[in-house]
Amino acid sequence: MERMSAVSVTDWQVALLQLAKSFSFYAPVSFNGSMDYDLIDDENAGSIIYNHPKPSTPLKTFFLPVRENVTSEAERKKQTVVMGAPACDLAALDMLDEMYLGRDFTDIYYKARRENSFIIGYECNSMAENCHCTSCGINPFPEKHSDLSLVKIDGRVFLDAVTQKGKDLLKFIGEHAVIEQANETEAKRIQEKRETLKEELGRANNRLPGYEESGKLLEKTNGAIWEKYSEKCVSCGACATICPTCTCFLLIDRPGFEKIRQMDACQYPGFERVAAGEDPLGELPVRFRNRYYCKYVWRPMKFKSIACTGCGRCIDTCIGKISKNELLEELYANKK
Amino acid sequence: MGNNHNIYKPLRAELVEVIEESPTIKSFVLKPEKEFTFATGQFIELTLNGTGEAPFTPSSSPLVKDRIEITIMKAGYVTEKIHGLKPGEIMGIRGPYGRGYPLDELFGKEILILGGGCGFAPLRSLLYNLEAEKDKIEKVTFCYGSKNPAECIYKPYIENLRQTEKFEVYRTVDVADEAWAEEVGVATVLLDKVEVNIDKSVAVVCGPPVMMKFGVMKLLEMGYAETQIYLSMEKNMSCGLGKCGHCMMGEHFVCKDGPVFRYDEIKDQPDIWK
Repeated sequence: MERMSAVSVTDWQVALLQLAKSFSFYAPVSFNGSMDYDLIDDENAGSIIYNHPKPSTPLKTFFLPVRENVTSEAERKKQTVVMGAPACDLAALDMLDEMYLGRDFTDIYYKARRENSFIIGYECNSMAENCHCTSCGINPFPEKHSDLSLVKIDGRVFLDAVTQKGKDLLKFIGEHAVIEQANETEAKRIQEKRETLKEELGRANNRLPGYEESGKLLEKTNGAIWEKYSEKCVSCGACATICPTCTCFLLIDRPGFEKIRQMDACQYPGFERVAAGEDPLGELPVRFRNRYYCKYVWRPMKFKSIACTGCGRCIDTCIGKISKNELLEELYANKK
Repeated sequence: MGNNHNIYKPLRAELVEVIEESPTIKSFVLKPEKEFTFATGQFIELTLNGTGEAPFTPSSSPLVKDRIEITIMKAGYVTEKIHGLKPGEIMGIRGPYGRGYPLDELFGKEILILGGGCGFAPLRSLLYNLEAEKDKIEKVTFCYGSKNPAECIYKPYIENLRQTEKFEVYRTVDVADEAWAEEVGVATVLLDKVEVNIDKSVAVVCGPPVMMKFGVMKLLEMGYAETQIYLSMEKNMSCGLGKCGHCMMGEHFVCKDGPVFRYDEIKDQPDIWK
């Protein structure tokens, strides 16, 4: 690995305010005990949280807004910098890009937003409840889709420009801050932190099957496990809404042949219902199962990208306190 | 298709004629603002301005480029509104989408077609196409079932088809009236009547889910292999692009991988008949 760039915290604060002035600059701040992205300005720049997993909202919301007119001209707005995306959310862009940029067509709205954004990925310095990226084969530090990767340790901010966009951003930062090179001790420290966290994540999830194994286990399930785990599901769709890889949407018609794309969830009743009334996902356990099958069995058959990156938000957010991991662990334990 | 083409924007099409096919089914003849081509069995998304959009497989011949006919059963919110339309209305069409009927697999064969209710709509498009390619097929046996004589659609077309060389037509109704002189019973009873050389045959099925289910069971019983049966699946196709997820059937996006599937491709999927 090429040695990272290093900036003192004092200099970083100066550069940060310049970034906030020149771009629509988003970073994680604390909200009533949780953490989420906010538009950064002079007021809140000091309360940005560094390298702590995971913003309540997944990165996808910057590229796939909840509602969007998809028949109007794609807007060119001020360039956006999103700072603080964890590795799980970055890896999820594989699926989003494959869906909206690859395959048969390019979604011009998604494309415009992707092109108009810089992503500053965070290394995670700790794990949060339900984090399990490593079980999905993802390391807890940026390895893809991050233009500039950032880790803040002991009064210094370390930056790694990965893409041309990242280099441009680093150059911008260099206009307002003194950029040095991380020394050998610091580089070693960063590496050690990575290893320690990987081990911690592995230990915390040692009963959880890996991504592919999960798919194999799910394929063999019968109705009983779905009855059991869907018992407390109220079909609120939060698991899909908060998922960094869920992409399903609804098209709503408006006068003038306009169409609104609104993010949707297979967990909502009626998601697959047709006019005559047939509804393949009409029964709750079947609908509940659909999301697991989609993530671990069906998407892998059609896509190169994985459909779960181990952020654990679907577990964090479930009002029925249903744990996807508990279900997978149960299947894994029963197999042994 | 260029990368900057906006696939969500419908092409405008003027409604030029409304044909009442039955008390619940009407055909809508549309004149698109520019030439619109599709392969038989592919579907389009039809927009009723400001109200909604729904998927339909055209019932007209794919060889006709300046008109497109859509046959619609009144079944839900959007279709009910469409049924109230008068000629002159400007509608929107997107598409065509998906994989249609595998004509190459049908050529050289004895084609058994089983249809029910409004499922005749996509099949009529196929029949038109097969009529035009008559030299390439052995024969077509068309079996059609509907609820009652009034619900039998495309009556003039049926009469023409009966006069067409290489085409045979069998019809049944669940409930007959005094004037009905053909079969009575569910659509699958017709399969007992037909004479086909199964080894040289391919079957195509389109109709309500319950008819498709029993139709397939019957065909398998008759000796058709799973690879000799094609089905048009009706799901909630919305975007048409394999993105929105509403029509997923197992790993398949029906809008993109279908709507026409060979039975062996989908037989293991849960809930295909719903």
